[in-house]
Amino acid sequence: MSSTTATPGHEPNYFHAKKGIKNWLYTVDHKRIGLMYLFGILGALLLGGFFALLVRIELFAPGLTIVGKDRYNEFFTLHGAVMVFLVIVPGIPAALGNIMLPIQLGAPDVAFPKLNLASFYLWCVGALLMVYSIANGGVDTGWTFYTPYSLHSAGSVWPAVLGVFLLGFSSIFTGLNFIVTVHKFRPQGMGWFQMPLNVWALYSTAVVQVLATPVLGITVLLLFVERTLHIGIFDPTLGGDPVLFQHFFWFYSHPAVYIMILPAMGVISELMTTFSRKPIFGYRFIAYSSISLALLSFLVWGHHMFVSGQSKLATMVFSALTFSVGIPSAIKVFNWAATLYKGDIRLKSPMYYALSFLLLFTIGGLTGLFLGILSVDVHLHDTYFVVAHFHYVMMGSTLVAFLGGLHYWFPKFTGKMYNEGLAKLCAVGVFLGFNLTFLPQFIMGSRGMPRRYWDYDSEFQIFHQLSTIGAFVLGISIFIQVIYLGIAFKSGKKAPQNPWGATTLEWQAPTPPTEFNFEVPPTLYELYNYDDLEEQPDGNWVRKPGSQPASTSSAHH
Amino acid sequence: MSQSDKDKHDDHGGHGHGHANQSRFIQHHYDDAQHQFDSGKLGIWLFLVQEVLFFSALFVAYILYRHHRPEIYSYAHHYLDVKMGAINTAVLIFSSLTAAWAVRCAQLGQRKGLILTLSITIVCAVAFLVIKYQEYSHKIHEGILFGEKFDPCVSSGGGPLVTKRNLCEGIKSSVVFDRGATYSVATQPTGCLDAAKIDHSPLQPGIQATCKVAEVKFTRDAKGNKTDGAARDIERCEEGYVGGHGAHGEAKGKGPKFPCWTFSANPNICPTGPAVLVHYGDEAVHAGVEIRPTCDAPGPVVNKEVDAATTLAMGKGGTTHEMPKTKHELQHEFSMGPPPPHTNMFFSIYFAMTGLHGIHVLVGILVFLWLLFRAVRGDFTPDYFGPIDYAALYWHIVDLIWIFLFPLLYLIH
Ligand code: HEM
Ligand SMILES: [Cu+2]
Repeated sequence: MSSTTATPGHEPNYFHAKKGIKNWLYTVDHKRIGLMYLFGILGALLLGGFFALLVRIELFAPGLTIVGKDRYNEFFTLHGAVMVFLVIVPGIPAALGNIMLPIQLGAPDVAFPKLNLASFYLWCVGALLMVYSIANGGVDTGWTFYTPYSLHSAGSVWPAVLGVFLLGFSSIFTGLNFIVTVHKFRPQGMGWFQMPLNVWALYSTAVVQVLATPVLGITVLLLFVERTLHIGIFDPTLGGDPVLFQHFFWFYSHPAVYIMILPAMGVISELMTTFSRKPIFGYRFIAYSSISLALLSFLVWGHHMFVSGQSKLATMVFSALTFSVGIPSAIKVFNWAATLYKGDIRLKSPMYYALSFLLLFTIGGLTGLFLGILSVDVHLHDTYFVVAHFHYVMMGSTLVAFLGGLHYWFPKFTGKMYNEGLAKLCAVGVFLGFNLTFLPQFIMGSRGMPRRYWDYDSEFQIFHQLSTIGAFVLGISIFIQVIYLGIAFKSGKKAPQNPWGATTLEWQAPTPPTEFNFEVPPTLYELYNYDDLEEQPDGNWVRKPGSQPASTSSAHH
Repeated sequence: MSQSDKDKHDDHGGHGHGHANQSRFIQHHYDDAQHQFDSGKLGIWLFLVQEVLFFSALFVAYILYRHHRPEIYSYAHHYLDVKMGAINTAVLIFSSLTAAWAVRCAQLGQRKGLILTLSITIVCAVAFLVIKYQEYSHKIHEGILFGEKFDPCVSSGGGPLVTKRNLCEGIKSSVVFDRGATYSVATQPTGCLDAAKIDHSPLQPGIQATCKVAEVKFTRDAKGNKTDGAARDIERCEEGYVGGHGAHGEAKGKGPKFPCWTFSANPNICPTGPAVLVHYGDEAVHAGVEIRPTCDAPGPVVNKEVDAATTLAMGKGGTTHEMPKTKHELQHEFSMGPPPPHTNMFFSIYFAMTGLHGIHVLVGILVFLWLLFRAVRGDFTPDYFGPIDYAALYWHIVDLIWIFLFPLLYLIH
């Protein structure tokens, strides 16, 4: 127990509350579940990264470099499927969100702890099926599983598809749990607009998870039935419509990109205000824009299908609607920038990630708008430009925010500090490596390099080589992170209760928290008001004597 | 309020805290029974929203395919047993009532009533599945399945059908084919085919048999006048073409290559059965036709038990309709013909929707069995009956989905 807790600690922290492997496997403690998710997700990240590097090595030179075209198809499919379904979608909500959401609400747990554990096991089974399909010959359909190819591909499609189905339900149950938790477990005195923005973001994400994922569920279930029983709904030879599959898939998968980005935006909001020592600019705008992104995301799926034979009218409507999502996205970017303005910026390692995010998301979002323009997309569709766009948003934004959040909350949920110097170095490595990897892809994409090709004309070689080098810088940086975080977890320096001087409730919990998070109910002070906090010589931030609470209680309603 | 809450959090021993007379099923992290109940209620509602969305894709697929190929739906739904469907609807609605009743019993702490109503609900749910099983096994037996397994031995009206499977037990083909034989179909009046006979023949649109109409020779010109015997080969109008011989006389389809022929079920043209129409753009006339089926290997089965002479008499005045038919009868008769192309899609949708619904019923049975067990054990009290309430809500949704499925699949018109 940290000696800096608000009261003398007499409860063991959540690591020590119940011992033994069984108490981990059957745990209903959201922190333990979140931590197990975190390990799983980091493992999947390394697996997906491994395939990414194989893809990049193959592309280092035209023609056959290490593998032939069929293997290559498997590599990029497995990279994409693992990264999307096992890493980016669950990354922030299921791991960091699980650990932090109840504590940020001053609650003892999520609303349905057993369901939370069930979600985790669904994730595990989904992940095992994914690995099984890799071991069993791989899948070569691309992460999108487009019909009719996916109906006839010789790859082991069914385990992957079944895995996605289960992962979908894992995601739905997490979202459902979070929505109920936010509705029913806010402490008295915390209205909707006193919630941390991270909670708003997780809440909006959860809405999308519950509303969009079922459609993915039924779609991949139909694909599964199609492959096993030949039911014919997507099979043109039996009278089915393969384009319907694309509609269903993108009806989920466009909202899913907001499942990926919204929680990242929540993390970034917290980091921006904490490390600028300044209230977030435009709290309500950020909160509302999260919700409006969640809702608008359901209206634009057709922008993935401009050249799939939609009607002209549909493409025009979808193109126009696509621009509407730019508005709430831009609101957030401007608000973060305004938060930085005249802030007392502290360049701690999490802030490195927040600043990277700001730049990378801006590029990713703006290139999304390029792609939303009908005439431009006809040229850019299925080129590396699209690949670069979605990596700027999925990796450059979501993964970077995930890493930022991980470094931000790591001291709280492990009770340990990591090596700050190394953390900053790796953050820079991620930023530079990332840009080196993906900036050249914009250029080659706009010059016509198609995506998912294993071979290319020599004029593209320089861009591919830069990209491959960048990928290695990126991969090595992330690998080092996993190592030093692992070392810190085992034997790091003891972390203070509030190392960053943040105002949200989790920093009032003991470090690491106790089994039910708080020994005494936390006190609600004004959110994002940093005036009352001062740093102690030991690195901990405490309230100045005489700080006025906004209200006190831990009773829920 | 906050005091008792604080006590609870300090008492990390787990159970047995707080309110002494509170149900032992109130979990530690909730403030009180009401808090737990409300959270569960919101949770189950979200789950049901999820369920509706899960089914929604199938409803979208239904609408889409029905929009594209209405003829499949109006043909194929005759295969479904409306009586069974209606019984199942009644059974399910009744079980919804008993499920709601169970909630009331649990709220009032009436254990016996709870056990009874839960039991009835389970019995109804099982009855539903038994009936569904009957329907399914009948369909499997008759080859009325989805995808390439759709290979029925009867037409949707129940009459025998010549298909790839010809071998269906008990089905005796009443038409005898010869490879490449030519049948002259007399016209009564011009262009009308005898439904009673050609019902079993490969002459109708989209037959899925090994035989298909290869040639139509017509013997009348655009004005309906007899040509001088010089028959011309013409082709079937493009798929989806709807002929223009309606009240407004305009062609509704995309432009096929004229002249071309279609079948028409319009009883105003031919009261005795489908007519062969020859289209010349806007105009269509009944044609005197010669129809020639060609058969691919392995060819149709010749049923020796049928007197060849009778069947070959087709069109030669062999009709035996003594009484004038009602319009409905005529339409029904037409519906008994061979299936239009891709009728299998209807059954893809049918089996996907009812199958998924059936799985939900099965899950409901398991849940209610578990609740019955707990009710017998005496777990439920007026301050702890959430699971009954949630299960009943789930059951209402399962019921509601069926209430949509029944008319959409069984009662199409
Ligand atoms: C300002 C917001 C955004 C806009 C306007 C936008 C627009 C687009 C468009 C039009 C495409 C289709 C390009 C094509 O295939 O020709 C696309 C692809 C994609 N976007 Fe975005 N996007 C935005 C944000 C995001 C975010 C935040 C994410 C993820 C976190 C994301 C992930 C993706 C992915 C994964 C694809 C490609 C999927 C594939 O075909 O494999 N986008 N985007
Ligand atoms: Cu999209």
